[in-house]
Amino acid sequence: MNRFASIVKYTVMTVLAVISIIPILWMISGSLRPYEELFKYSSSLNYHLFVPVQPTLANFKEVIFNEGNPFIRYIANTLFVAGIVTLLVLLVNSMSAFAFAKLRFRGKAVVFALFMSAMIIPGEVTLVPNYLLMNYFGWLNSYKALVIPSMLSVFGIFLLRQFFAEIPDEILEAAKIDGASMLRTFSSIVLPATVPPMITLALMTFLGNWDSYLWPLIVINDDKKQMIQVAIAAFSSVEGTDWSKILAASTISTVPILILFLFLQRYYIQGITMSGVKG
Amino acid sequence: MTSVTSAAESGSKSILASKKPNRYLRGEERTAWWFVLPSFALLLIFVFYPMLQAFVISFQNYNLVGSTRSFIGLDNYKNLLTDRDFLASLRHSFHFAIIVIPIQTSISLCLALLVQKKFALTGLFRTLYFIPVVISTAVAATVFKLIYNKEFGILNNVLKTFHLPTTNFLSNPETAMYGVIMLGIWKGVGFFMIIFLAGLNNIPQDLYEAARVDGATKIQQFFRITLPLLNRTTAFVVIMTTIDAIKLSGLVFVLTGGGPNGATETAVYYIYKMAFQQMQMGYATAAAFILFVIVLVISLVQMRLFRNAEY
Repeated sequence: MNRFASIVKYTVMTVLAVISIIPILWMISGSLRPYEELFKYSSSLNYHLFVPVQPTLANFKEVIFNEGNPFIRYIANTLFVAGIVTLLVLLVNSMSAFAFAKLRFRGKAVVFALFMSAMIIPGEVTLVPNYLLMNYFGWLNSYKALVIPSMLSVFGIFLLRQFFAEIPDEILEAAKIDGASMLRTFSSIVLPATVPPMITLALMTFLGNWDSYLWPLIVINDDKKQMIQVAIAAFSSVEGTDWSKILAASTISTVPILILFLFLQRYYIQGITMSGVKG
Repeated sequence: MTSVTSAAESGSKSILASKKPNRYLRGEERTAWWFVLPSFALLLIFVFYPMLQAFVISFQNYNLVGSTRSFIGLDNYKNLLTDRDFLASLRHSFHFAIIVIPIQTSISLCLALLVQKKFALTGLFRTLYFIPVVISTAVAATVFKLIYNKEFGILNNVLKTFHLPTTNFLSNPETAMYGVIMLGIWKGVGFFMIIFLAGLNNIPQDLYEAARVDGATKIQQFFRITLPLLNRTTAFVVIMTTIDAIKLSGLVFVLTGGGPNGATETAVYYIYKMAFQQMQMGYATAAAFILFVIVLVISLVQMRLFRNAEY
């Protein structure tokens, strides 16, 4: 009976796992096929549905070296923007989190409440005024529009504050007595002690920016400056029939992120757990 | 420390004295403000100011093309409440929510229960279930477009193998929303599995031991211990799913573009269309505000639920 139950359990788990990753495996295997082959083996279920008969890198070559659709450029744009945003998010929000966790100042409770109340405001509601603001600043079609408004992470402040609060006050007192400035204490005691939550926030920010679609679609007009997600979506609606190339482009944009995730998943999942615990 | 001794010195005067911080505290206060300033400025400029601005614009007839602005009072709101397209878009969002909530919640709870106990390969299974969360929305939607394809998509292959009728989910207004829903669930369950795992790990193990001693079956344990103690987590998951559903846009943009025939146009898609295709900034912002009120009400319900939660 027990053995039967565990067989059922493993079967269910395997089926669910297959459903989870089949679309991705299919995408990757499809990107390695010549166009004619993509649909040849799709009429029935057999292993060639997933294993290319004549594997080829031609799709990747065409996608990468296509003058009209410079995918490497889109990826570089996105890496650049997401990287800068991540660094700035870490800097700006860890500073505030430190002040909220460890420093005394008048108005702290009120200011912190303001930050927390901002969590309720969905970005979709401020979409239009923020666009008008970008227009007013003259930041449309420039990376400033993607980077500067994204520098704030209220969730990040919340997350880091909890970790900073756990650092014993005695250590900070000791640093103060030794004559360390607040900035010094922050950069050489607090930050090194909280590397894991910093990685958590970094990974969440980076993946969030890698995935962002609507905002870049609205503020960036120049094709050459576009982010990878918008480029992929546009590519798949323009090249509607050339599925092997679309799959190759999707694969190129997914594999780096997947590798990053597989190495750092512990931190990413920790961040998600935190967002559930906060309530 | 100085302020404490001075407070002890004498009556009401000392309260005033203790309010005036000593030099170190003043230094700390100044530093603290410098630390908070960058993010506080960002908060004011990119969250609170736009929010106020949104409130003002929602009472205006604001067309970006002619850059005409005029105050029209509640007209935008009045028109929206009778705008069939807007109401349909809200309905589509709620349709998504109503189907996704029970299915996604139960699947993610099942997944969490399946991978909760450590055994060989748990880590692998957790990772596999979580991978769809990491796949970017645009890529997932693009790949699913092909999966749904009538002639050569794998979904229809599977249907054919089981001698079920095949269809292109996305080109039929009746089924297109279900195409979006399936993708939404596929992409979402891993995320909520993790939340449920955190909830499950918070349940004290001795409760199960006591139940086992009393001879409770696994099923009894699940309904009498696990489910009731997961109340808080479940409420969180349901509310998060609802809010995500109301804000649904990315999947729809790439998967269906709101089509066919507007069948999958969600509220945010409608706002985008009004603002950035028809340049009706005032009208779109009023719609966004209605959305905000809905999200706000749900959040307030959430806070209520959590205040009444037992632990």
